[in-house]
Amino acid sequence: MRKVLAVVRREFVERVRQRWFWVMAALAPVFFGALVIVPTLLMSKGGVKRIVLVDGTTSTFGVELTARLDRESLFIVVRIPASSGTTDSLMAAVDRKEIDGFLIVNDVAVDSGKVMYRASNVSSFVTIGTLEHVISEMVNARRLEREGVNPALVQKARIPLRLDSKKVSGGKETGESAGQSFALAYFMGIILYMAILLYGINVMSSVLEEKTTKIVEVLVSSVRPFQLLLGKVLGVGAVSIFQFLIWGVSTRLLLSQRAKLFGGGDGGGPFQMPHVNGSTAAIFIAYFLGGFLLYSAMFAAVGAMSSNEQEARQAQQPVVMLLVASFISMFAMLNDPGSGLSVTLSMIPFSAPIAMPVRWAAGNLPLSEVALSLGILTLAILGVTWVAARIYRVGILMTGKRPSLKELVRWVRAA
Amino acid sequence: MSEPIVAVDRITKRFAGHTAVDSLSLTVPPGVIYGLLGPNGAGKSTTIRMILNIYAPDSGTVRLFGEAGTGRDHSGRIGYLPEERGLYPKMRVLDVLLFLAELKGVDRRVARPKALDWLTRMGLSDWRMRKVNELSKGMQQKVQFISTILHEPDLLVMDEAFSGLDPVNSQVLKDTVLELRARGKTILFSTHIMEQAEKVCDHVCIIARGKKLVDGTLAEIKRTHGGKHVLVNFDGARGDADRVFADRRHVAKADVSGQFAELELATQGDAQEILKALVTSGARLSRFELAEPSLNKIFIDLVGPEAATPSARPDAEVARA
Repeated sequence: MRKVLAVVRREFVERVRQRWFWVMAALAPVFFGALVIVPTLLMSKGGVKRIVLVDGTTSTFGVELTARLDRESLFIVVRIPASSGTTDSLMAAVDRKEIDGFLIVNDVAVDSGKVMYRASNVSSFVTIGTLEHVISEMVNARRLEREGVNPALVQKARIPLRLDSKKVSGGKETGESAGQSFALAYFMGIILYMAILLYGINVMSSVLEEKTTKIVEVLVSSVRPFQLLLGKVLGVGAVSIFQFLIWGVSTRLLLSQRAKLFGGGDGGGPFQMPHVNGSTAAIFIAYFLGGFLLYSAMFAAVGAMSSNEQEARQAQQPVVMLLVASFISMFAMLNDPGSGLSVTLSMIPFSAPIAMPVRWAAGNLPLSEVALSLGILTLAILGVTWVAARIYRVGILMTGKRPSLKELVRWVRAA
Repeated sequence: MSEPIVAVDRITKRFAGHTAVDSLSLTVPPGVIYGLLGPNGAGKSTTIRMILNIYAPDSGTVRLFGEAGTGRDHSGRIGYLPEERGLYPKMRVLDVLLFLAELKGVDRRVARPKALDWLTRMGLSDWRMRKVNELSKGMQQKVQFISTILHEPDLLVMDEAFSGLDPVNSQVLKDTVLELRARGKTILFSTHIMEQAEKVCDHVCIIARGKKLVDGTLAEIKRTHGGKHVLVNFDGARGDADRVFADRRHVAKADVSGQFAELELATQGDAQEILKALVTSGARLSRFELAEPSLNKIFIDLVGPEAATPSARPDAEVARA
């Protein structure tokens, strides 16, 4: 056991000493911070839009639309009647930044639903979204009135929808909106995928380094290959947990300082930080460790059967594909975390490490399902490690060409 | 005699298609320098790996220190220098030494002063905090050698001990090995360079194609396998030496390389006749000596010239001797 600890210690210390570890530690919170802060900045910077409404209608539609848009705090609207040459002069005004944009409405708008908006910036979701929403509402009302529907009735029917979504967990509202759940599921999926891949490949290159430098022969004269593999996986695993800790603490610090850093605001903004409670964190760590153990065993076997970086890059493809497939399927699951596909994926041990935490974050799950999935994952880890350790034991002392599948089977069988 | 340090009993190892080691037995008594000799591909490395339990033998047993347990169980008492040398290139020299000592069960705090001591002895103390890949190849060899003996093993196993060493390190290694023997340690090493084996070994075991050809003390082997031998060194002019060597009445076999020749006398051969014939043929001699056969000669006779190895510049080696 002391020897295993020596291997763990070496893997940990050597990795934490490397520059890339601290680059990652420093960059990741900046990256996550940017994901949170940049949208906040973009949204608030948008501010109030000064737009001109060019009214080419013969009815009161233009006037009403102006009044209606003006009521949205997002716009300051000035109405001018349409005449030849207005478009050109308004273009020039946009160019001089006197106004942000202009709308052109005429009588056919009500029939065709076609309204022109020209602005210096048409990529703001909020601006365009509000414009579309308001105009379509007005056009709808106009059409209904024209068909003889009582204007009062139309007015009544026009109840603005405010869908207040809150996730229910344990029979209580969690105060977590659908957006937050989605964001949390999405982030967890990405982090799990990246971390399992990164640290799995770390194990592989560690195996490969010992093999190519030939030091492995000295090592296995003192420790059993399995002890060496175990120490390696635990050491790299400890590095990853340490990395997560650094990320967690620094992100927390960064968020708590957000209000100060970016002046004013209630800290909420359009993007709200999802709540990560204890059970979610536990699920995340449990599935990360499960996924890491499962995949790093496979990556270790890949490293052991290759004799240089190039070979390893080729041989790792099937393992990487397995992980990528799980990652991609996450997007299908986000749409419907309760679908048959999602449930299946969260039970298959190779996709469960990403699928289950994503489902957990997106929607409430019965604990029995989590337990079953973790059970299957554990069995798979034991099985895969058993096979991988056998390949590892033979592979690390092999030189020459990469073994065929048939040879691999023989390695595993050889006791 | 006390328990042998290594007792190998009829071990066999087969790899896909061929038998690397075939029912090989050998015994290494304590406190000796034991040479495992053989041409390339004879099964020396495989034998060593089985002794250390890096490979498990297909059949046969290995007993170490007269006790039960595999080489890995006894690894704290064994130092192993494999044929293919290598260290972690990106680790600091001192850290590598401490890590490898830890794997041998030595506490880091105990290993540290010893490692520093050895580094100073080898002239590497200024390099202790440098990364391994910043060191020259010769320095790396020294570091690896320190790692092999840092935990003060009772048995030192070296595969192709002297291969790839520069002359200085070769001498350092030889001195250290002799010093270890003086302290009662046992050294087992393999080589295909007979001249080196002849200089340091007490016992040898010659193997070829996975089988043992002969083993015993060096003196015994020379006695039983040598005939009468004559060593000849020319001093420039060789005259008609080749004709003299071809005279089967006196010379049974001649092994000529440049300025040096080793002759095996025919049963009725007379060394004085050969000397006379050489001088009259116009050869100038710097040495004419009745001697035991060299290990190299015995080796080639046993193994057969087709399996003989390109030994390391035999003339240069012998000329110095």
